[in-house]
Amino acid sequence: MWGQLREILNQSAIRTTRAVADFLPGVLAMLVILIVTLVAAVICQVIVGRALRRIGFDTRLQLWGFPTLADWSPSKSPSLLLARLAFWFIVVLGALVGLNALDAALTSRLVARLFGYFPDLAAAALILLIGPLVARFVARSVLISAVNMQIQSARLISLGVKWMVIVLVAAMALEHLGIGGVIVLLAFGILFGGIVLALALAVGLGSKDMVSRSWGRQANPSQERSDDVIHHP
Amino acid sequence: MVDLSTLPEEARQAVERLGSVDIVVGIPSDEDGGRIETVARAVSAGLAERCGQYRSAIIHADGGLAGGSRKRLPALSLEDTPLIRVPYELSLVHRLSAPYHGMPGRDVAFRVILTLAHALNVKACVVVAPDVGSHSSGSVGRLLGPVLQDGYDFVAPRYHRHRFDGTIVTGIVYPFTRALYGKRIRQPLGDDFGLSGRLVGDYLRQPVWDTDVARFALNLWITTRATCGGFRVCQAYLGARAHAARDPAIDLSTMLSQILDPLFTDMDRNNAVWQRIRGSEPVPTFGDPLDVDAAPVSANLQRMRESFRLGYQTLDEVWSQILPPTTMLDLKRLSRASDRDLLFPDELWARVLYDFALGHHLRVMAREHLLGALTPLYLGWVASFVTQTESAGADEVDAQVERLCQAFESEKRYLISRWRWPDRFNP
Repeated sequence: MWGQLREILNQSAIRTTRAVADFLPGVLAMLVILIVTLVAAVICQVIVGRALRRIGFDTRLQLWGFPTLADWSPSKSPSLLLARLAFWFIVVLGALVGLNALDAALTSRLVARLFGYFPDLAAAALILLIGPLVARFVARSVLISAVNMQIQSARLISLGVKWMVIVLVAAMALEHLGIGGVIVLLAFGILFGGIVLALALAVGLGSKDMVSRSWGRQANPSQERSDDVIHHP
Repeated sequence: MVDLSTLPEEARQAVERLGSVDIVVGIPSDEDGGRIETVARAVSAGLAERCGQYRSAIIHADGGLAGGSRKRLPALSLEDTPLIRVPYELSLVHRLSAPYHGMPGRDVAFRVILTLAHALNVKACVVVAPDVGSHSSGSVGRLLGPVLQDGYDFVAPRYHRHRFDGTIVTGIVYPFTRALYGKRIRQPLGDDFGLSGRLVGDYLRQPVWDTDVARFALNLWITTRATCGGFRVCQAYLGARAHAARDPAIDLSTMLSQILDPLFTDMDRNNAVWQRIRGSEPVPTFGDPLDVDAAPVSANLQRMRESFRLGYQTLDEVWSQILPPTTMLDLKRLSRASDRDLLFPDELWARVLYDFALGHHLRVMAREHLLGALTPLYLGWVASFVTQTESAGADEVDAQVERLCQAFESEKRYLISRWRWPDRFNP
């Protein structure tokens, strides 16, 4: 009996040792890959950052009408943002290669899921990239038009419109990413409705003078002729 | 070779029948009515009286707005002068547009008139707008005389207007074009003008007819092309300028955009010309200023000042992307001034407009936004101008306008520097 017990323990130790021996090279390979990846990522970050700073990327972006990107970048530098993105891209790539060295089947399943998710991710990224630009454009249009109509709460209306577009964009992006589900839709509905109500109040209160002038003109057309009849062109 | 294939058969036959004439008078309209008959008869009488020794023809180009179907023009015949009536179709773009001058498709009408004039090999062509002038028989003669007798290529109109009438022209277009192109044409947005045959051909060759410049600011382009193209230009007194009923859909901001967008775009096209010009010279003016009463104009100064102050409070972030800090500081002081002290210095106004022109050129923001943001500043200037001149005599008003133009000319160096080296002056 003691002999059998010894034999079983020996076999178990041998199997464990073999499993570790089989596993260890993969782990070592993964570590080597990760180290090489980190070095490559740092080099790439430095190169990308220097190249973008040399061509004045931050200033050009401001001139091309993308100041929002600067606000959201670390140290308000889009160059730094892109350099860091390049760093993390290479790190993620290296991690996938390292996982492949560890377990090819696991990596294949992971990559397949990532590639399946990629179109939604790309769509969400595009929406998040374009959305703030559209929000800024629309807000400025509303601001200038409201000022030219002499609406006192022009700035408030413009801000409301901007946030309405941003909320819409964020909800669309989250829906594409499949995050939050019904909760996001509900929150969007409540926020959007709240902003619309606030805008309606702002427009109504801010333009009451304009509305009363308009009603006054309809009631008394002769008043318009004595008010302001400069023919500008 | 003139392409007449797009014109109606009656017009082509009329051209073949006439062969060639010395003078063509064109009358563009978008809706025929008894008014055209009155104008055509006045023009015909004027031609018979002043230019009887020349062969003449009148061309009436009418767009109409008869829902896409070609309207049949009512019969009209003139005893002294052959009349060619050309209905033309308005495109969807024209039907949907609302130009400040109130006549959609005016560029099409002009092109029809100029094409026929060129086909008839004219020595002189006059275009008269039926709705903005009291067309005496003398007006046409005054526009034709300099072309036929003195060899000028372009005759601009010189209307007698109330001092507060045409403030966009007085405060922006006239000083701007005078400083840029060096010619003191008082009304560059006139609706009536005289052209030589040579200039008619030149206009038809320019690639501008299917653009917004032609749709909204044809008159301005006609003036600047004549000025920059090496043609001999002059102006002629035509009397008081009446106004067509305003289209209520056209607000001031849209009007400013329609006028200034082509003005600034023209700067890009002609930048090699205006950067070489220094100062300005008067252009010969024919006729005498007629002693007529211009219609009085009232102005709501308080609303204009409030608009300017609201603009400063709310659009300061937008303006600071176009205007340098020193200008913003001056505007801040103005916005806090009392009503009587809200007076725009001429140099400041000149620099503001030059900065907006530069912003338009560099596309610092969407052009619709940039031009819309100018409206409160313009209203502030108008309030300032009215305050300074409301109790002044006619000579003082002219002197005030002259000082404004001198300021534009002296600040032109500022414009040229910023145009050539925008990075050095980036606000």
